[in-house]
Amino acid sequence: MSCLAFFAGRSPVHRLDPRVRLLSALGLAVAIALSERLVTLGWALGLTTLLAAAARLGLWTLTRRLLHLNAFMLFLWMVLPWSVPGRFARTVWGLSITEEGIRLALEITVKGNAIVLLFTALVATIDPPRLGCALKRLALPDKLVHLFMLVIRYTDVIHDEYGRLRHALKARAFQPRFSSHTLRAFGYLVGLLLVRSMERAERVLAAMKCRGFDGHFHALTGFGLRPSDLVFTGMALCHVGAWAWLELS
Amino acid sequence: MHISEGVLSGPVLASGAVLAVAGIGLGLRRMSVDNTPKTAMLSAVFFVASLIHVPFGPSNVHLILNGLSGVLLGWTVFPALAVALFLQAVMFQFGGLTVLGVNTLIMALPGMIAYHIFHLMYGIVRRPGRVFGVAVVLGAMAVLLSGLLLTAALALGGRAFLGVAAGIVAAHVPVMIADGVVTGAAVLFILKVRPDLLVPSRWEPAA
Amino acid sequence: MSGILIALRNVTFGYEAARPVLRNAALEIRPGDRAALAGRNGAGKTTLLYLLVGLLRPQAGHVEAMGRTCRHEEDFVAVRRRVALLFQNSEDQLFCPTVLEDVAFGPLNLGQPPAEARQSAMDALAQLGMSDFAERVTHHLSVGEKKLVALATILSMKPSVLLLDEPTAGLDENAVERVIALLNGLDAAWLVISQDHDFLARVTSRRLTLADGAIHERRDPRS
Repeated sequence: MSCLAFFAGRSPVHRLDPRVRLLSALGLAVAIALSERLVTLGWALGLTTLLAAAARLGLWTLTRRLLHLNAFMLFLWMVLPWSVPGRFARTVWGLSITEEGIRLALEITVKGNAIVLLFTALVATIDPPRLGCALKRLALPDKLVHLFMLVIRYTDVIHDEYGRLRHALKARAFQPRFSSHTLRAFGYLVGLLLVRSMERAERVLAAMKCRGFDGHFHALTGFGLRPSDLVFTGMALCHVGAWAWLELS
Repeated sequence: MHISEGVLSGPVLASGAVLAVAGIGLGLRRMSVDNTPKTAMLSAVFFVASLIHVPFGPSNVHLILNGLSGVLLGWTVFPALAVALFLQAVMFQFGGLTVLGVNTLIMALPGMIAYHIFHLMYGIVRRPGRVFGVAVVLGAMAVLLSGLLLTAALALGGRAFLGVAAGIVAAHVPVMIADGVVTGAAVLFILKVRPDLLVPSRWEPAA
Repeated sequence: MSGILIALRNVTFGYEAARPVLRNAALEIRPGDRAALAGRNGAGKTTLLYLLVGLLRPQAGHVEAMGRTCRHEEDFVAVRRRVALLFQNSEDQLFCPTVLEDVAFGPLNLGQPPAEARQSAMDALAQLGMSDFAERVTHHLSVGEKKLVALATILSMKPSVLLLDEPTAGLDENAVERVIALLNGLDAAWLVISQDHDFLARVTSRRLTLADGAIHERRDPRS
């Protein structure tokens, strides 16, 4: 799917072991999520911006992706400064806004952007099949990994099927509106996708059984840690430690 | 429907993660190996369906369909939606990693409730028109419940989010209508085409 | 009005820039035209039909319909109300639980009130001798039956131009005869892709060939 915009790159980040990237992302994300001091969060935003730059994420695509998050942040900025009780800062449009409100909105904006940048730089850059293998190596339940692998295999198939049906609707002069006609058409479309995919699932299962599937999912890709992976892990740990120290001191 | 990164407090994120892991674990135990392809396929359909947008005024609303997923998936709605939400985060930067647990809970729990009510009613109500009606109500209800769970998650942080939460729930009124009718029509479709797929006994191994 | 229903003007299109499917291709369909579109597998015949109704957009050149240049989605919305496309795979075309709902879908999109749309649908089914199928569940029909229903879904919109992608695939002899009789009784123009030479000989009088990205014409296929 065209939305998989980030994993195809070649950068130092892409060459890191997927397990290292996943675990580092998780550790750093939790640390950022628990931080409340602006100095820590500013540092985190700086670090994750660097990571995004190192992963050579397309600036334009990345901006568009962050737009969604920041539309929500904008909404928070329109509500929080007025609604959080605290010390009076100034009056805007006849309403008094508080320092605490501004601080909270700022905290959330920086935190949210830092975590999303981190996740995009480290995890969205792993191509999905390798991501599945990495999840398996990290001892996630077999069934869950298998489920994940099948979902990424068939999302494209179903997305294409959906695309063809939308084409056919269009060719019959269908124009979506907020009307019962439109909603019913979408309902039937979803119903058809569901029935077809459940029937496909029956065939897929039969085909898997024919090839000796016994309920275990075997990963083909092996991973090996390289010195750069260890250095990266060490750096991530140092950051988590430094942030924890900043927060607790 | 999802909560963005950066908004929730640590304890809320942690409890969300723990509850979601419990739900996923239970779902996986109920998911026999033979059900894996079906669960995956439905997870993929709901992922694709979340890309459908319905024009609303100058903007548009996206379908959520967590009620419909619940009705068809039962307990396996937890792992199915967790995977779909994880993919959404990877592909579109919607939601995220630390909020994955909370978001899974917000989406899957109302789905589970819809599942139980639907199959309770399905034993009593037989006429397609009435099944449609039940499905419409459940589809809308699941969105409403998700909105309330989202509000609760925000409020539990103890911060002044009530204004924000009220705004979010209000913004989901058109989604409730859209999800309700789409869920109803989809259930009606399956009822006419492959009614056996609606019957849970075919779905879940005796647990 | 130039008397041309729909036309391609110097259209270039390719899925990959390096390998264009159409290169400066031109095509005109006038009222009463009954054209066959031939070409090898993968020559781009289906692509050409998609371009005509704006499901794909050319990289160069444009589509002209009812005397108007069409470049944007709004232009093609109007085109699709009069130019109907029968998809190669009926599975992709039919999405309602029952036949009647599917056949009435187009007329409803044209703005007909439900009762009228229902009548249009019943008329279209009757034209194909499929009135008994109205309440059937589409998903359970055979490939050939689905093809006929798909044909009914576009006939119910009373189009001026029919773009038919393999209309006889999967049909039995009897059904093919019905389709031939139906087409020859219609007041519409059409462009047909088909591998069925006997069928083409009986419903078309123009033969277009798509090869190496260009469209060539040969009048009267029987000569």
